Amino acid sequence: MNLLLFAQEHSEEVIESSKQGFFSDFMWLVPLLPVLSFFVILFFGKKLKDRGHSVGIAALSIGLLLSLVGFVELAAGNAAVEKSWTWFELGEHFHIEFGMNYDFLTGIMFLVVCTVSLLVHIYSTGYMHDDKRYTIFYAFLSLFTGSMLAMVLANNMMMLFVGWELVGVCSYFLIGHYWEEKENSSAAIKAFITNRVGDTGFLFGIFGLFVLAGTFNINELNHLAEEGTIGGTSLTIVALLLFCGVVSKSAQFPLYVWLPDAMAGPTPVSALIHAATMVVAGVYMTARMFILFEHAGSALDVVAIVAAITMVLAAILALIQDDIKRVLAYSTISQLAYMMAALGVGAYTAGVFHLFTHAFFKALLFLGAGSLIHAVHSNNMSDMGGLKDYMPHTFRTFMIGSLGLAGIFPLAGFFSKDEIIGGALRSASESHQAAAWIVLIAAIVTAFLTALYMTRACVMTFWGPFEGEHEPHESPGSMVTPLWVLAAATITVGFLGFPIIGPFQDWITVPGHEHHGFETLYNIVLPAGATLVALAAIGLGLQLFLFKKWRYDILASPFAWTYRLVENKYYLDDFYLKGIVRPVQYKLSAATYWSNQKILDGAVNGVAAGVLAVARPTYAVIDQQVIDFAVNGAAGLTGYSGGLLRYIQSGNVQRYAAFLFAAVAGFVALFALTS
Amino acid sequence: MNPVDWHALAPEVVLTIAACAVLLIDLFVPDEGKWIAMPLSAAGIFGTLAAVVSLIGTGNHVTLAGSFEVDGFALLFKGLFCLIGLIVLAISFHYFRSGRYYQGEYYFLLLTALLGGVVMASSRDLVTVFIAIELISVPGFVMTALRKRDAKSNEAALKFFLFGVLSSAVMLYGMSIIYGITGQTLLSKINSELAASPSEPIVVLSVFFVVVGFAFKISAVPFHFWAPDTYEGAPSPVAAFLSTASKVGGFVGLLVLMFIAFPSVADTWRPIFAVLATLTMSVGNLIALRQQHIIRLLAYSGIAQSGYVLVAFALIDPAAPGMNAQALQSALIYLAIYAVMDLGAFAAAVAFGRQGGSYFISDYSGLWLRSPVLATLLAGFLVSLAGVPPMAGFWAKLFVFKATIDAQVYWLAATMGLNAVIAAWYYLAVVKRMFFDAPTSEEPLEIPYLMRAAMGVAALALLAAFIYPPLITALAERSII
Amino acid sequence: MEWVDDWGVSLATFLPAVGAIVLLFLPSAQDRIIKAVGTLFAGLALIAGLLVMARFDYGATGEIQLEVNATWIEQISANYHIGVDGISLPLLILSLLVTFLCMIYLWWHVPEPGKPKAFLALVLVLETGMNGSFVALDLILFFVFWEAVLVPMYFMIGIWGGPRREYAAVKFFLYTLFGSIFTLLGFLALWIKTGTFDMIELRELGAAGIGSDLFQNLVFLGLFLGLAIKVPMWPFHTWLPDAHTEAPTVGSVLLAAILLKMGTYGFVRIALPILPDAAVTYAPIIGILAVIAIIYGALCCFAQSDLKRLIAFSSVGHMGFVMLGIATLTEAGINGAVFGMVAHGLITGMLFFLAGSIHERYHTREISELGGLLAQIPRFGSVFTYCAIASLGLPGLAGFWGEMLALLGSYNPASPLDPVLFRVLMVGGGIGTVLTAGYLLWTVQRVNLGRVPDKFADGKGIHDVQALEWYAWAPLLVLILAAGLFPKLVLGLTSEAVSTIMGALGG
Repeated sequence: MNLLLFAQEHSEEVIESSKQGFFSDFMWLVPLLPVLSFFVILFFGKKLKDRGHSVGIAALSIGLLLSLVGFVELAAGNAAVEKSWTWFELGEHFHIEFGMNYDFLTGIMFLVVCTVSLLVHIYSTGYMHDDKRYTIFYAFLSLFTGSMLAMVLANNMMMLFVGWELVGVCSYFLIGHYWEEKENSSAAIKAFITNRVGDTGFLFGIFGLFVLAGTFNINELNHLAEEGTIGGTSLTIVALLLFCGVVSKSAQFPLYVWLPDAMAGPTPVSALIHAATMVVAGVYMTARMFILFEHAGSALDVVAIVAAITMVLAAILALIQDDIKRVLAYSTISQLAYMMAALGVGAYTAGVFHLFTHAFFKALLFLGAGSLIHAVHSNNMSDMGGLKDYMPHTFRTFMIGSLGLAGIFPLAGFFSKDEIIGGALRSASESHQAAAWIVLIAAIVTAFLTALYMTRACVMTFWGPFEGEHEPHESPGSMVTPLWVLAAATITVGFLGFPIIGPFQDWITVPGHEHHGFETLYNIVLPAGATLVALAAIGLGLQLFLFKKWRYDILASPFAWTYRLVENKYYLDDFYLKGIVRPVQYKLSAATYWSNQKILDGAVNGVAAGVLAVARPTYAVIDQQVIDFAVNGAAGLTGYSGGLLRYIQSGNVQRYAAFLFAAVAGFVALFALTS
Repeated sequence: MNPVDWHALAPEVVLTIAACAVLLIDLFVPDEGKWIAMPLSAAGIFGTLAAVVSLIGTGNHVTLAGSFEVDGFALLFKGLFCLIGLIVLAISFHYFRSGRYYQGEYYFLLLTALLGGVVMASSRDLVTVFIAIELISVPGFVMTALRKRDAKSNEAALKFFLFGVLSSAVMLYGMSIIYGITGQTLLSKINSELAASPSEPIVVLSVFFVVVGFAFKISAVPFHFWAPDTYEGAPSPVAAFLSTASKVGGFVGLLVLMFIAFPSVADTWRPIFAVLATLTMSVGNLIALRQQHIIRLLAYSGIAQSGYVLVAFALIDPAAPGMNAQALQSALIYLAIYAVMDLGAFAAAVAFGRQGGSYFISDYSGLWLRSPVLATLLAGFLVSLAGVPPMAGFWAKLFVFKATIDAQVYWLAATMGLNAVIAAWYYLAVVKRMFFDAPTSEEPLEIPYLMRAAMGVAALALLAAFIYPPLITALAERSII
Repeated sequence: MEWVDDWGVSLATFLPAVGAIVLLFLPSAQDRIIKAVGTLFAGLALIAGLLVMARFDYGATGEIQLEVNATWIEQISANYHIGVDGISLPLLILSLLVTFLCMIYLWWHVPEPGKPKAFLALVLVLETGMNGSFVALDLILFFVFWEAVLVPMYFMIGIWGGPRREYAAVKFFLYTLFGSIFTLLGFLALWIKTGTFDMIELRELGAAGIGSDLFQNLVFLGLFLGLAIKVPMWPFHTWLPDAHTEAPTVGSVLLAAILLKMGTYGFVRIALPILPDAAVTYAPIIGILAVIAIIYGALCCFAQSDLKRLIAFSSVGHMGFVMLGIATLTEAGINGAVFGMVAHGLITGMLFFLAGSIHERYHTREISELGGLLAQIPRFGSVFTYCAIASLGLPGLAGFWGEMLALLGSYNPASPLDPVLFRVLMVGGGIGTVLTAGYLLWTVQRVNLGRVPDKFADGKGIHDVQALEWYAWAPLLVLILAAGLFPKLVLGLTSEAVSTIMGALGG
């Protein structure tokens, strides 16, 4: 109760103290515009001559402008803004706000989401041009963007969860965009159900928070955790429940299986939803609740370890894919794990920074892949090759993206990845926690693998002879422009997080994390080392895949099983599908239905049958018997009078009388007993 | 010896005159004119009704040395008997006119039997009670046999006659013993005498014989054998009369005896009624479940229905007058509503039978398409008999149910409940036939207006009583003996 | 408009019955007139309901308002006592609205064997029964309305139903009747203890405690049997799939949208506040049965080949959530339950409309024979997907809040209840939500997506959503979204009313 009062004061006080920026009155527009554009496109899109895309593009351009303004205002020193109204309340203890919270984290997310979404909108005008469901595609792009923005703007867990689920369902619709093919819709269902599993845990976590703290408000929750009002084992459990949501949404082990299949959707969708924005929702949420996680006992260690496992497993899988989108999908999984690992070891700024940079170069890579697919009409790298001559723009931008991902100076990936490894090392050396060491090692291994599989991908697509049929061609400007924009971003944004001087660490920070000055280890040795690792990997990759040196037939070796293991994705999908889904879907359900029909319903019908079973003899004896000897008597009737005499002489009367007195006697006996 | 109160006797007198008139006129009109007997008897009954109405609000009349009393109870049942009489007339008219049976005799006998009922309502003396019950029964024997060329009819009549005689004998035997013990024939006096003297087995036995006697008249299990065969054999309007007027008459007699003459020894005979009620309900319903013949179905359903009324007797408690009042009321309400809905159902059966010529439920298939009116009305009566809204039968059951719970005889209440479900089952089976199944023949039925009117009135009465139960409960309240 | 205070609720309740009587006197040949009159009276009733809404004081949703209390049957002190509060109002309006929309839908199609006159009359009689049971404040009156729905629904299923309609109709009738006998026993037992049938008085007495624990438990058991069969709760649900499968479209819609709610409403309005202690005793059992229903229903859905039967089983699961919410005996849970009733009424009602319309177009409900609706009739397919998504409890649509609040309630049940048990139940419910999503999306995939089967490729007689269908559905579709975005629409009403009941429950 008092907590709620506190809530009011809290938000009030923030609003008072800050010098109100222009943006604070319009931030609600940013999510609202795309949502409106969804309805406009849905109901009128088909009638518009451009089939609706301009509505979405307009909405997002305005949104991007607004968020830029908002961010500038923040950078200029406006305090964070929180505004909230009552959504509904039950009794006096239960109160759900409809509220917004705009701070640097939200600001960054706004920029990322609006930018990438806008570019994807533009890109899709080319990529989806001939699609028969062009309009509905744009409608859902808008709805997704709106939900995503609403989610990051939410100031309380319940709203965040609503947004969380809405982006999920949009992803479902967009993955299943080509629903004529069963496997596509199946992929969509897989994504939704897998997420539903994690989200259920997430929802329970939110319940737990509410029961512990009596509020859904995020800032309050962090505050209460910080001052220790809530804590202990219960908080740890709740934090882990929240993490369930992360595991599914941000595709961590063991629930990452949906993301590779999600590549069934159109490539722009993969770029926007399954690389840059939606999948980072989990990372965002963890960052949002970071203080709470920090005070939730060993929760962060669990996060770190899960992330460490995920990043390596995924990177290995990326190494053997032929479908270029799957390469990027597994790469995304492993990069998300990177971000989670950063948060896990307490490198808050680094984690969010990697989220930020990754959004750009991974979107770039996906859109580049889209451009390739557009050209060769196949996802398989084995159908590509030698494209660098056919598609110069795609080639150059894709290379920039790859190097960015591989973490080569001065591209974005270099800075963020470096921060994370640094963070891991720092926490390892300071806290001596096993988790931190594990993360450190995993991070370095993953850095190596990342560079390796990206090299493989680039070589297979751009070098060597072209394997496809007809002459590939460079994509139209509508597709190439976004590529260059993102490439530019990939080159530049890294510097925002330049060690010591970069502004990012001032923007994204949490109490209790002081900035570090210049340290040789962290600012010279480590970056150099990391770069070397990457370069080594690239070198190896070129040897293996370009110059085809050092061939080693693993299938012939005693390590064949490792290859099988990887080839079958560690049998994780088989376990889920054959071990859980199919049995429930067919066997268990059939058994249940059988019990319903045969046992439960059988019992009901059985009762009816029982009554009839009792009725039958009763009827046969009491009703029919009497009729019988009555009829026997009647059969003898000839004339009236004669029959009468005959009848009286016949035995019936005696039988009646006998029966009568029998009955009477019986009742007398009963009488004697009762009285 | 105070003078006779003729006003109190007015209904009986009018009815007697009407009966004689019918008999005489029948002698002088030619065959094709004999149908005149029906409107004539109708007039007679209306006259009786007028006389009854004239007695309302004139306070209690006690006459003939207390053996004859006119109170709310009496008036309620006199009225009810008149109503039954009218409806039966309506049912009978076409049946007997087309059948060319002994119309004059029939109507005369009908009125006589009705007279018995009207007398019964006022009887407060062993002798009058006995006379009344015989007056109801004996014409019944003859009426049952009216279709004299029909073997079934004769057999039915004979069976009915034999049972009637046997039961009367048993009843009379019991009554005579009671007179022997108490030296009284006035019911109220008998009660006080019994209350004074400690209950000897002989008293109990005599009461018991009386009960058995009436058990036959109201066809309570296991004294019900005659009923289904008799109803089936008798001309169906007569069956309607027997299953309502005679049955109600028997119950009235039982009520006055049990509530006025024997309550002081209630403890000894209450269990008997509990057993009778249970048997009657359950056996009646179970057998009805398997009936293929509408009249037999109604016969058994009627038996089951009387089981619910018998429950009321199982609740009588000399110590708790309030309880008695409630029990009695529930019985009155049940009888009144039962009479109307049962007559309605019989009327429908007759209406269907006289054209379709069949009484087999299988032939009711798709009746809805052949005659929506008849199907809907019959469905209404059956729903009412099943005790489900929107028909008054619901209240009939509910009041008895409530009285039972109030007396905290929960097992009996539960028995009633389960029986209600079973009953609903076979009533619905008929409804199912009429509405859900495909018709066996296309030819539409046309129902004589007289019958439509009769059934319509009955249905409306039931509907009205459902919507505003006080219509009947208020009467019942004023009818405490 | 003061007259509304005295007459509004009664009008909303009985205008349909009047309409039914009027219909009887119309010539059966005049289809259009009959439909017009039927729609007219359903509409008038709806208007009366809206007037009631207009006169309703939203500041005092916890109070009984527009109350009428007249002597009805003195002998048993049963009164004509009606009125609405924050819990009954939304259900009353739902019933009025859905029936009205059914009337509109019937313009488009009266099921075989036609006879619109009889059918519409039955719908109207049914409506009176349903509305009545939501506004009745006297146990006997409630029971009368409660029983009054049996006969019309019996005829609807039996005459206009599918191949096994006779079995389904009789089963529905007898099963429900059987249950109601025990409910009646309970009511009368209460009357004997307290001498009143008045729900409000009984609620006050109940707070103090009526009779011994044993008495309370026995009476609760009686009520429970009747209500649980109506809801229907596992394992008393087996009449439901048959009834739904065989019933005509409108019958299924009304059955799912309104009739089932009578049972859950009975728990909230009667069983809980009048017998609080017994409620606490039974809550764990109810909770367990509810969760079994959720999972059991979902699993059965996977095994269905008939679309309509699948939706019927999904109702079992969804009503399970409602009952789980009630079982928690918490503000959140019970509010969630009422919200769930409304949401389920809108969503599942809509789904049954769709199942019916699919049958109209494709003359089959076999999921295996259908496919590619979205390709062949895109608007229809979209509506179908929308409803399926709403039904699986997507936040932002109506389905979510009921389930969420029920689960939240069971995370932290009322103090006397065992939190461990209820958290286990919550997890069960969570598994249920996953399964629900599973079978619904699977159904969408099989019915809606993929390619059009060859036998329907010519698309003869297969048209997209018709104008009349839009009229009948649009309100529901909009309300599903509105209730999802502004749960206050319902919770704003129920919150205080539930608090009143919680008061009776003792906190």
